[in-house]
Amino acid sequence: MAAVEFAEETKQQIERIGSADVVVGVAGSISPEELRTHAERLMRELGSAASSLRFVFALPANATPPPEATPAAEDAGLTVLPFLPPAEATGEFWAGVSAHQRAVLGLAASLKARACIVLGSDLAGLDARSIQLFTYAVLERQCGLAMPVYPAAKYEGLINSGILSPLSRALYGKRVRYPVAYDFAVSGALCEGLARGGSAETSGNALLWPVTVAATQFPQAPVGQVHIDVHHKVATDGLELSAVLGQLAGSMFLEMDLCASHWQRIRGSQPAPAWGNAGDGEPDGEPIDPQPMVDSFLLGSKSLDEVWRLILPPNTLLELRHLTRLAPGQFHLPDELWASIVYDFALAWRLRTISRVHVLGALTPLYLGWVASYIREVSGLSNAAAEQRLEQFARVWEEKKPYLLSRWRWPDRFNP
Amino acid sequence: MWQQVEQSLHTSMVLVVNKIATLLPGILAFIVAFLFFLFVGWLLSLLVSRILAALHFDERMGRGAHAMAEWSPRATPSLLVGRIVFWGFVVAGVVVGVSALSTSEHVVSGWMLGYVPRVVGAAILLLAGNVLARFVSRSVLITGVNLNLSYARILSMGVRWMILVLTGAMVLDHLALGGAIVELGFGILFGGIVFALSLAVGLGSRDLVSRSLEREAARPVEVAQPEKVHHF
Repeated sequence: MAAVEFAEETKQQIERIGSADVVVGVAGSISPEELRTHAERLMRELGSAASSLRFVFALPANATPPPEATPAAEDAGLTVLPFLPPAEATGEFWAGVSAHQRAVLGLAASLKARACIVLGSDLAGLDARSIQLFTYAVLERQCGLAMPVYPAAKYEGLINSGILSPLSRALYGKRVRYPVAYDFAVSGALCEGLARGGSAETSGNALLWPVTVAATQFPQAPVGQVHIDVHHKVATDGLELSAVLGQLAGSMFLEMDLCASHWQRIRGSQPAPAWGNAGDGEPDGEPIDPQPMVDSFLLGSKSLDEVWRLILPPNTLLELRHLTRLAPGQFHLPDELWASIVYDFALAWRLRTISRVHVLGALTPLYLGWVASYIREVSGLSNAAAEQRLEQFARVWEEKKPYLLSRWRWPDRFNP
Repeated sequence: MWQQVEQSLHTSMVLVVNKIATLLPGILAFIVAFLFFLFVGWLLSLLVSRILAALHFDERMGRGAHAMAEWSPRATPSLLVGRIVFWGFVVAGVVVGVSALSTSEHVVSGWMLGYVPRVVGAAILLLAGNVLARFVSRSVLITGVNLNLSYARILSMGVRWMILVLTGAMVLDHLALGGAIVELGFGILFGGIVFALSLAVGLGSRDLVSRSLEREAARPVEVAQPEKVHHF
């Protein structure tokens, strides 16, 4: 994939600004006035800590007014740079976020910034504490990439907890809690590489996986984490679980396919150092009834048998059949089984055993089965204890990696 | 009288043997031509596959040809090209073989030659219909299950058979077999299915629908509850 291309107006503004120490970019639509207000407040809060650094705040200008009407404004030491987002930025759900993130990283590379901080468009991450932690991790502790750790909430971000985080950790050997996030910081050296989005073969609307790019292209660059007290409000209206799960898991499987030669050499995982204080997260509300999810799983196992048979090996199918016979109160999907299911789906996606759309669609009832099992297990635990449980869960994925390796290298051996 | 019977039997036997004798070189030519083209087709498809593999054809096509790969997931582009070459030669072998028969039987070979494109077209229709039926029925099944429809499987099976029946009718029509019977039968079958469904919904589910509507009307307006589980 080519580096991010900017409009002529944006290039002129970059030339006018020249360079920056820290680029803080927003990956999504927001009005320049709103960003200016937040940025002014931030600079006041940072005070002397920011006086030695030149900050540039970048935002996509697809909202009114157009970029030519709002040139890079510099007053009171505050530089706001509106840029025309790339065409891919209109992609569905996370594809649009990734395109904006790449554009911000491309801007930072053009400005030869020492650090680039990418934030979500709700500006929840634009607070002094978060910015200080990100700049500290990149500029003081020489991290190539600093990923966020959001306050623990056991019932939030379950696609991340159940698939993305343990899979990324098992594959690339970095113990990062959120491998795909709204907020993260990158050192100047990695900006260009991340702006390209990783592999040269990925398409323009592919998602950006910062940890994957850092692990495969910049293995010497340390990866760190910062605990930030940020709660993003994701607009989920109109989004279907199967579509979002398909997009995220499909993108991860694509990265797996492209970086196969790299992750096959990695054994175990390394902890990513974390800075900041871990928040306690929100207290438990009312208990959650997992039965509707168990029902979805049971419906899937009754109806999708003919599809699962093409993807999963016989012993996994047998274990799934055993699960359907359990009493509702005893439903439990073992960690090993869930890890091997996701590995098998990744393999089916790679081999095109059936259409990739169908592979990803058939994963949803199984995922809901895992969610039901997880909810049942952590309902009586605190957020911190649930995090411990997820740590144990991620270790199982690492232990099951030899299974993935053998199936990836010799797929026919287990084929039904 | 027996002599006359014997003579007429003898004459007819001689005629049949003569007929077979005149056809034999043509049949032999057909077999030779078919086997020759089969061999050449196999050889060339192997050669083409090797050349395409050396040119990394699959990798080049893989990124831009997702649509094709989705429809036929197991066939790589190079495999597909190899198969096209092979089956092209098989068809050519049949045509050449049939034309070799023409030296002995003008009428048969002329009719067969004219019919070959219809058979090929029908085979393509059948293949496309099968692939489409499989793809669409799986899509319906998976979407139905993800929407928590308990009748997703029946729906998917219905869609599959609808497409297969439609394909069957199109194939028979293309082969000019059955004539108006196929059109008539297909029309009656489809019309019957739609009519049966209408009756089932209109009569069988009348009470169910009215009860459901009454329940909906009587239900107080619910305030949307915030989701307790967040997947993303």
